[in-house]
Amino acid sequence: MASVIQSVPDSARVARKESSKYPGALVVVEGIDGSGKSTQLYLLKRWLEIGGYRIHFTEWNSSPLVKSATRRGKQRKLLTPTTFSLLHAADFADRCERQILPLLHSGYLVLADRYIYTAFARDAARGCSPHWLRNLYSFAPIPDVTFYFRAPLDVAVNRIVAGRPKLKYYEAGMDLGISLDRAESFRIFQDRILNNYDQMIETDKFVLMDGTIPVNRLQKLMRQIVGERVNMEQFAPKKTKKK
Amino acid sequence: MTDSLPESPAGSNGQPPKPAKKRAGKARVKRNEKPADSASASASRFYGTPMPGVTTEELSGSLIVIEGTDGSGRSTQISLLTEWLESEGFAVQTMGLRRSFLVGEDIDALLAENAVTRMTLALMYGTDFFDQLERRILPALRSGLIVLADRYIFTLIARSAVRGISRDYLHGLYEMALRPDLTFWLSVRPEIAFDREFKKSHSISYWESGRDLSLSNDLFQSFIRYQSMVQKEFEYLSKRHDFVEIDGERSVAEVNAALRKRIAQQLGIRGTHYHPSNALAHLWR
Repeated sequence: MASVIQSVPDSARVARKESSKYPGALVVVEGIDGSGKSTQLYLLKRWLEIGGYRIHFTEWNSSPLVKSATRRGKQRKLLTPTTFSLLHAADFADRCERQILPLLHSGYLVLADRYIYTAFARDAARGCSPHWLRNLYSFAPIPDVTFYFRAPLDVAVNRIVAGRPKLKYYEAGMDLGISLDRAESFRIFQDRILNNYDQMIETDKFVLMDGTIPVNRLQKLMRQIVGERVNMEQFAPKKTKKK
Repeated sequence: MTDSLPESPAGSNGQPPKPAKKRAGKARVKRNEKPADSASASASRFYGTPMPGVTTEELSGSLIVIEGTDGSGRSTQISLLTEWLESEGFAVQTMGLRRSFLVGEDIDALLAENAVTRMTLALMYGTDFFDQLERRILPALRSGLIVLADRYIFTLIARSAVRGISRDYLHGLYEMALRPDLTFWLSVRPEIAFDREFKKSHSISYWESGRDLSLSNDLFQSFIRYQSMVQKEFEYLSKRHDFVEIDGERSVAEVNAALRKRIAQQLGIRGTHYHPSNALAHLWR
């Protein structure tokens, strides 16, 4: 099995250096579907919003510019592993260049629900070359904190399957022809993604979060880690600064 | 590593890439296997690792690329070459930029809006390219067709490079592309290209004059400066990728004769005599 762990291309190193130049900060959550990452990021966002912090929340939804292409490709099952990956990269590039980067440069704390590691784990599970993927996303700034929410495969899959009437074609990895049964295909696909995530824990400095811990305890831990890793003072409302 | 795309102009050793060799490797690659497994079998036809799911069965057709700026006569020559090749008994498939079913029209819409940023545009063009490669070019080559490409990855690399995207990045992006059997570059001076384009449409397009780069408020100046920048990228690519450079300022008939001569040599066609049919006679000016 090809490893997701690859030497970072030169172009990515340049981006990494430049990323420390902006005054903002980037906190992202990663993990397979059903790992609890979105719930935790939502709670973190609420905490910061209520506190009046200068934040922006972004998620891996289609940007309006690329939406029609993605929808057509998915509905008509036109996407190959390569074009699936490229279309999502185009989508991400649009959000990165028009939202994330300008906000980081203007001093926002940006919270991202899924980031480039989603593409590394998912597209490599489809057979894309990990080295090619690393290069493809090398324009993206490296996060200040990357939380990796990890739940056992069964726990995560059951959370998703129980709550969703029908798994979508690409979501279940049906394009890979692993199994004709959608739930079974989804399970195997998620297992591959999970393995790919696990391989990035050290190389990409993930903060490992146990997705089976009760929600409120996990959130307390997450807030504590954000407080340690990010200088929250710079995003705080002005009145708290005066004190 | 002469087989791979160059990493940067500085890294160029001036050696032309080795000619693509056809391999009859029949080893089928299952769609869910890692691409690394198939890399060695088909490496000679690709710059780097082929795309996942692409089988390495023999590609018996030929990929012939015509590169050149707008106004270099590309489309005219492709129409004429198609007719000539068909008269010689070769089946022809064409490809070009923004012609994929997947995203071709979406790119048109993005260009019309001017809201798109350089990286998004580069990746949409990449999607467009690989969709055509997988769905049009590779099937045609497997069936033994001649694919005439009205521009290829070189235009895409040059355009993005002049917009400041690193060449390393762009070469990495297109490392899964198929290596052409022949690449022609119809070179024309920017001034000539301007005249031809202006005669054709009585205006100069926003993108062809590089207006997104804010080079000059004067459209003519902007066009010349932008096209000169693109041309510089092409000069570098030409050396690395063994382009056959043809003076695009010569007459249509002369350029066509030069193209036919080299293609005939590649495909083993004996006679290169050709005169356009009535349907295409208007191109033969």
